[in-house]
Amino acid sequence: MNAMVDTQMDERRKRARRTAWIAGGVALGIFLLSILQMLKL
Amino acid sequence: MAHDATHDHHDHHGAPQGFFQRWVMSTNHKDIGTLYLVFALLMFFIGGAFAMVIRAELFKPGLQLVQPYFFNEMTTMHALVMIFGAIMPSFVGLANWMIPLMVGAPDMALPRMNNLSFWIMPFAFALLLSTLFMPGGGPAGGWTMYPPLSLQGESIAYVVFAVHLMGISSIMGAINIIATILNMRAPGMDLLKMPVFVWSWLITAFLLIAVMPVLAGAVTMLLTDKYFHTNFFNAAGGGDPVLFQHIFWFFGHPEVYIMILPAFGIISEIIPTFARKPIFGYKAMVFAIASIAFLSFIVWAHHMFAVGLPMGAEIFFMYATMLIAVPTGVKVFNWVSTMWGGSMTFETPMLFSIAFVILFTIGGFSGLMLALAPADFQYHDTYFVVAHFHYVLVTGAAFSIMAAAYYWIPKWSGNMYSETWGKIHFWSSVISVNVLFFPQHFLGLAGMPRRIPDYNVAFANFNMISSIGGFWFGASQLIFLGVIVHCVWFSKKKAADRSWEGAKGLEWTVPSPAPHHTFDVPPIIHDDELAHGNTDH
Repeated sequence: MNAMVDTQMDERRKRARRTAWIAGGVALGIFLLSILQMLKL
Repeated sequence: MAHDATHDHHDHHGAPQGFFQRWVMSTNHKDIGTLYLVFALLMFFIGGAFAMVIRAELFKPGLQLVQPYFFNEMTTMHALVMIFGAIMPSFVGLANWMIPLMVGAPDMALPRMNNLSFWIMPFAFALLLSTLFMPGGGPAGGWTMYPPLSLQGESIAYVVFAVHLMGISSIMGAINIIATILNMRAPGMDLLKMPVFVWSWLITAFLLIAVMPVLAGAVTMLLTDKYFHTNFFNAAGGGDPVLFQHIFWFFGHPEVYIMILPAFGIISEIIPTFARKPIFGYKAMVFAIASIAFLSFIVWAHHMFAVGLPMGAEIFFMYATMLIAVPTGVKVFNWVSTMWGGSMTFETPMLFSIAFVILFTIGGFSGLMLALAPADFQYHDTYFVVAHFHYVLVTGAAFSIMAAAYYWIPKWSGNMYSETWGKIHFWSSVISVNVLFFPQHFLGLAGMPRRIPDYNVAFANFNMISSIGGFWFGASQLIFLGVIVHCVWFSKKKAADRSWEGAKGLEWTVPSPAPHHTFDVPPIIHDDELAHGNTDH
C-alpha cells in the first residue's frame, strides 16, 4: 500500500518539477522580453 | 478520515531538534511558513516605526523632528518594507502553512527551493535597510523609483539589488505554489473543489510570475542608466522617463492585486466558518478573482493620468479601471450573502473579516473616484491617494492577515488565543485606523500633496488628528504581538482539532498543533467536509 503511494508521490513530484521548469522559463522569458522591449529591438 | 492517515505513518519522526537544523536548513512547509510569518511581523514593526516618524513629523506644520531628506527616506522605506517585507511575505507564509494542509499534500512540491525562497529575504532586507546607515543615506525618491529622481543618490544600486533578490524570492515562491497546487492535490480534490484561499493563491502566483520579471527588467535598466551610461530613461540622451513609469506600473498595478487577492481568499474562508454557511456563489468567487487578475494587466496607466497621455488612452484606462468594480462587487455581494441568514458569531477573526468587507469597500469606492481621469487631475499625488491605498492595504490586506492569524493560530500552535485581548486589539485597531486614515481624504480633497515633511497651516487640524490615530494604531499592534506571544507560549487553553465550530476543510481534520508531517498518505475527500459545500448544484 505504502509503496504504491510512494510511487504515486514520486510521479507527482516529477510532474511538479516539470511544472516548475515551465513556470521558471516563462518568468525568464518575460524578463528578457521586457528588456528587449526597452531596447526597442 | 484524514486524521487517521496523519497519525499512522510518520509520527515516528518529528521536527529536527537542533535550532540550526530545524530553522535554517528546514524544508518543512510549516516551519518555513512560520519563518515567513515571523519575518513579516518583524518587518511590519520596522515599517511601522518608519510610519511613526512620518506621522510625528506631520503632527503639526513646520519642520520639527527630522530633515526633509530623511523624511523622504522614511516614506520610501516605509513603502518598500511594508509591501515587499510585510504584506507579501506574510501571504507567502500563510500559503506555505495552509495550502498543503488544504489540498491534502504532504509538503510543498519543491521543499529545498522553498527554503531558498525564504532565506533570500533576510539578506535582501539587510541590504535595503543598511542603506539608511550609509554616507548619502538611503533611497528617497519614493518606492516607485521614478528616474531621474531615484538616480540622484548612490543607494540605488543597493535598492536595485535588494529588489532583484526579493523578486527572485517571490518568483520561486510563486513557482512552488503553482507546482504544488497543480500536482500535489489529494485524489478527489478537483480544481473546483479547492478552498477559495487556494484558488486566490494560484491566481496570485500566476500574476507574480507575469510581473515580477518586468520589475526586474525595469530596475536593471535604471542600474545601467546610472552606472553604464545607457539612456533608457534619460531624456537628454534620447531616452524616455515616462517609459519607466509605463513599465513600472505594468508591474505595479498587478502588484496591488498580488497584495489583495490572497486577502479575498482568507475572508472567503473565515466568513463561512463564523456564519456557519457554505460560501455563497463559490464558482462566482473564483471567476471574480480570475477576472480581477486579468483586468489588472490592462489598467496600469490610471496611475499616470497626469503625465500627458493621449485622450484615447485616458478614456480606455478610465473605463477599464472602472470595470474592476464589477467582479469586486460580486465578491462583496457574495460575502454579505454568505452572512445573510447565517448563525453568526463574532469571534476576533470574524470581526476583522467584517471590518475588511466594510473598510475595503470604502477603499474600493475611493479607487473608483481616482479612476475618473478628469477628477484624477485634482486628486493626483494628494493625500486622497494616500487615504485610498491605505484603506485597501491596511484595512484590506493587513486586516485580512490579522484575521488569518487569529483564525489559524490554534492550528499552528495548538493553543487558543485570548478572545478578550483579541477583541481589544480589534476594536482599538478598527477605531484608530479610521482616525488615522479617514481625515486624509479631506486633506487630499483640500489639496495637500503627499510626500512632503511640511505643509500649509490650513491642513494642521486634520494632520494632528491623523497623527494621533497613527500613534494609537501603532500602539494597538503591540497588543497583537502580546496576544500572539501569549497564545504560542503561555496559553493554557488547548485548541481542538476543529478549532471553530463551523470550520470545514482538510486543515481542520489534522491534530492541533498540526504535526510536523501531515498527509503522508493522501486523505480521502468527502464533499461535505469542504468549506464551500457541494458544488454540484
